[in-house]
Amino acid sequence: MFLYNLRLARLSLMKQPLLTGLMVLAIGVGVGACMTILTFVYSLTSDPIPEKSDQLFAVRLDSWGPDEPYDDRRPDEAPWQLTHADAMALLESPVPTRHAAMRKAVFTAVPENRDVAPFLTLSRMTGGAFFDMFNVPFLFGGTWDEDADRNAENVVVLSKETNDSLFGGENSVGREARFGDDVFRVVGVIDEWQPIVLYYDVNNGPNNDVEDVFMPYTIGDRREIDMSGNVNCWKDEQIDTYFDLMQSECVVTQFWAELENEAQVAEYQSWLDRYTEGQKALGRFERPTNNRLSTVTEYMKIREVAADEILVVMSIGVLFLAACMFNTIGIILARFIAKAPVIGLRRALGASKAAIFRQHLVEVGVVGLAGGILGLLLSMLGLAGVRAMLSDGDRAAHLNLELVLIAIVIAVSSAIIAGLYPTWRICQLAPAGYLKTQ
Amino acid sequence: MLEMNDISRVYRTDLVETHALRGLSLSVEAGEFVAVTGPSGSGKTTFLNIAGLLETATSGSYMLDGKDVSKLSDNERSRIRNEKIGFIFQSFNLIPDLNIFDNVDVPLRYRGFNGNERRERIERALEQVGLASRMRHLPSQLSGGQQQRAAIARALAGDPAFLLADEPTGNLDSLMARQVMDLLEQINQNGTTIVMVTHDPELARRAHRNVQLLDGKIATSNPFTPQADVADIAEPAMQPVA
Amino acid sequence: MEIRPILSAMWRNRTGSVLVAVQIALTLAIVVNCMFMAKSRIEFIARPSGMDIENIITAQSLGFGSDYRHDETIDADLRALRALPGVIAVTPASGIPMSGSGSATGYKTSMDEDAPRETANYYRFDEHAEQALGVKIIEGRGFTELEVRRADDENYDRMPPQVIITKAYAERLFGDEPALGQLIYDGLNESAEVVGIIEHQYGAWVHWSSFDNVMWFPQRQEGPSIRYIIRAEPGQRDALIPVVEQTMQELNSSSRLVRNVRTMEETVATSYEGDFAIASTLIVAIILLFVITGLGIVGLASFTVRQRTKQIGTRRAIGARKRDIIRYFLTENWLMTTIGIVIGTVLTISLNYALATAFEIERLNYVYLVIGMGMLWLLGFVAVAEPARRASNVSPAVATRTV
Repeated sequence: MFLYNLRLARLSLMKQPLLTGLMVLAIGVGVGACMTILTFVYSLTSDPIPEKSDQLFAVRLDSWGPDEPYDDRRPDEAPWQLTHADAMALLESPVPTRHAAMRKAVFTAVPENRDVAPFLTLSRMTGGAFFDMFNVPFLFGGTWDEDADRNAENVVVLSKETNDSLFGGENSVGREARFGDDVFRVVGVIDEWQPIVLYYDVNNGPNNDVEDVFMPYTIGDRREIDMSGNVNCWKDEQIDTYFDLMQSECVVTQFWAELENEAQVAEYQSWLDRYTEGQKALGRFERPTNNRLSTVTEYMKIREVAADEILVVMSIGVLFLAACMFNTIGIILARFIAKAPVIGLRRALGASKAAIFRQHLVEVGVVGLAGGILGLLLSMLGLAGVRAMLSDGDRAAHLNLELVLIAIVIAVSSAIIAGLYPTWRICQLAPAGYLKTQ
Repeated sequence: MLEMNDISRVYRTDLVETHALRGLSLSVEAGEFVAVTGPSGSGKTTFLNIAGLLETATSGSYMLDGKDVSKLSDNERSRIRNEKIGFIFQSFNLIPDLNIFDNVDVPLRYRGFNGNERRERIERALEQVGLASRMRHLPSQLSGGQQQRAAIARALAGDPAFLLADEPTGNLDSLMARQVMDLLEQINQNGTTIVMVTHDPELARRAHRNVQLLDGKIATSNPFTPQADVADIAEPAMQPVA
Repeated sequence: MEIRPILSAMWRNRTGSVLVAVQIALTLAIVVNCMFMAKSRIEFIARPSGMDIENIITAQSLGFGSDYRHDETIDADLRALRALPGVIAVTPASGIPMSGSGSATGYKTSMDEDAPRETANYYRFDEHAEQALGVKIIEGRGFTELEVRRADDENYDRMPPQVIITKAYAERLFGDEPALGQLIYDGLNESAEVVGIIEHQYGAWVHWSSFDNVMWFPQRQEGPSIRYIIRAEPGQRDALIPVVEQTMQELNSSSRLVRNVRTMEETVATSYEGDFAIASTLIVAIILLFVITGLGIVGLASFTVRQRTKQIGTRRAIGARKRDIIRYFLTENWLMTTIGIVIGTVLTISLNYALATAFEIERLNYVYLVIGMGMLWLLGFVAVAEPARRASNVSPAVATRTV
């Protein structure tokens, strides 16, 4: 019967190609607009590391000044970063399974090959645990060991692109790479890896690229490597040198901990609270204790990775789809009412209401499917437009299989919802009314 | 076969109340060919709709094939229309987008027969009405008489208990009308009960029995009349006119 | 044309009429709100920056290695860049205004520990800054060559004794009092005298509410990074970009990288790209919705005309002129549009209220509602014109034909 209904739908839709086209266009445009925006919002809000996002915690301590909160708009939030000193102290905690402090720095890579011009690299200065915490895939080698962290050794993990530039893509593990005046030993090369949202450092820009090189956090102090990335201060301190900054109350460092269960979370929370209590005794942490552990998704929400304006556009998109649907309902209703005589005849010949209902639902379903496909094409166009307008839109504005399925479901279900009322209406028609000669 | 008892039908709108049928009682035996006649507004259409289970009566009982059908749900009535009643309309009511084969196929689809059974029945029915060679034609490609024969094939294909014909020759010229009537008679002779609504006394005379409606009631119900007699009476009566 | 019979015909087909009206209403609500939001964005993007953005090129030099000499590199760069034909002025800069990255700190007007602070986005420029940015100093003066501290100056880490601030910042710091000649203090109570006041200039962050709180210090940025703001003569900018890059590369490419030689226009566009994208999206939504709604009306009207062929023929047969038929359809459509607009007005205001509550959006300016209404009336009229014309061509003979 489904195939029969499908054939009837085709006959009926082909009979008025313009109206059919109009319905498909309306649904297609509505779905296309909605999907373009949804894709964007989805990319910005979906869990970047679902396998362990609830075990990774952004760690924050409220070390801010006593006079006013870090963020006037949200006075309950602790600063987004830690002071360097606090970060170093937290690294001594035995509680987390893994943890890492991190910040950004800039280096000039000087290739061995003199024909290749030196180039700028962004470095993430972090702990060796970073790679395992965030499930970073390795192409060659692996992370550096704890000794390298402790002794601030000159070791480096390269991105695939940097390895391509410096070593022509060869396995460079064990070789030496020059950054500025320093020579580093390559211990690993990571494979292509780019979370849509750079969730481990939304503070310096959730749309940024993954860094070009990774180095131990601890070499910053040994080599006095300047900060690159956000620095926020509240205290009036004379800050001239690297160490002035790193020993100040300025917050400069992001900190992540991996905690596997609630007990461990609770234990770590109390460890942190004990730490800040101890600091209070030294005259620091003058604000009420406010030590925060937020999972990846919680933290993305707190940091409002999906900005208000995107959500405004999203709600407009949904209304847009609704307007398109009303358009479609009008056309479907008019068409179905015009078909009343044939429907009356089918009823006379023994079609039950349910059979008529199914037949017309198949018809609107076909329209929905066609609209969905058109909508997908239009959203690809829309996303290409978004990519053209946003320099960092390249990652977020892409469809994936899941989104394609969502688009089809939205299209078909909106067509069916649009078709429900007209279909119900024609099922209510008295079968006798249309059989006599007009 | 068909037994209506004290059927009434009232149409109400905000302003008026129309009594289309007022206590109509009628019984049709299996194998009968009954003509229901009457002037415009006498309740023919309402009778047809109620007999065909397209509408329900306001009061009264209706037994069809030994079963009380006056209180059935919409769904059950659809099934009975599908299985027991064959409709033939004045304006044929073929679906213009479907070819003859597919038109005959419509009620069989709702019956849930499998493809082979449907094809056999469609071919048999079309053969019976002499349209086997036209089954791939669209209705618009056929003459009026052929269209009505196709509609009759559609009515027959499901082996209904009775045929309900509404002015079956009203849109046809006299030659085609005669062919269609001949076909109906032949079908009746093969055992199918036929109830035919018409305003044409000429046609009515070819039935076994003539029920006349007036103001929603049966005015007269002529008893069984042998067909030959009808023809005998009819022919001479027509001659002075011709 | 009597409206009553049309109304009663619409009442009998009320579902269809309601659908059209709801569609018009939704269209109005969306279009008006989108128009209004797009307009806000466009105005936001078009705010005057105070600078001659169209003629400015910016460049970055990033030193590396132990051979790098910061001040010497800057000296050489400045000398060469200033000598280029078509260049009006060049200043070394700690950052590029309106680029989204910069530094800010709070200053106060007295030594008092608890004096209120006002945050300013500060830049380190030299004595050519006024010319290089194309801003206007309306009170006082620009920096002098002698005031500008090199990065190797022994007092570099102290607050320089002179600053130039924007008028907006001066007003926020000093209120109605004249700011010129006053002292401002940093958190450590080092002070500087306000020697000049800029009429208007934007700082680093386009979305910051105190975007025009800007302060200049007569200093060179410390190494190893330095930026240059280069103002070209009108029409020379694009030709100068490769020349600037090549000049800097030739001066030193062994211990520094030359990066991001580009127009300031590009930098500013990048800062506003989110706003631009939203404005464009909204405008596309408006256009698409108009097209869809218009086509919807055309489709439904044509369909109605086809359905009513016989009725139209009858009207013609009993004496209706062609223009009566046209007028009938126009009036019918006008009525539906108007009902839609009435519902839509309520919807528009509620939607704006909902958006304003949820997302900190400005309250609607009702002028846009009026514009939206006008546009929809026009749309309805245009959309129904062709179907109405077709209806008027129905032959009166249809009335007697039985189909």
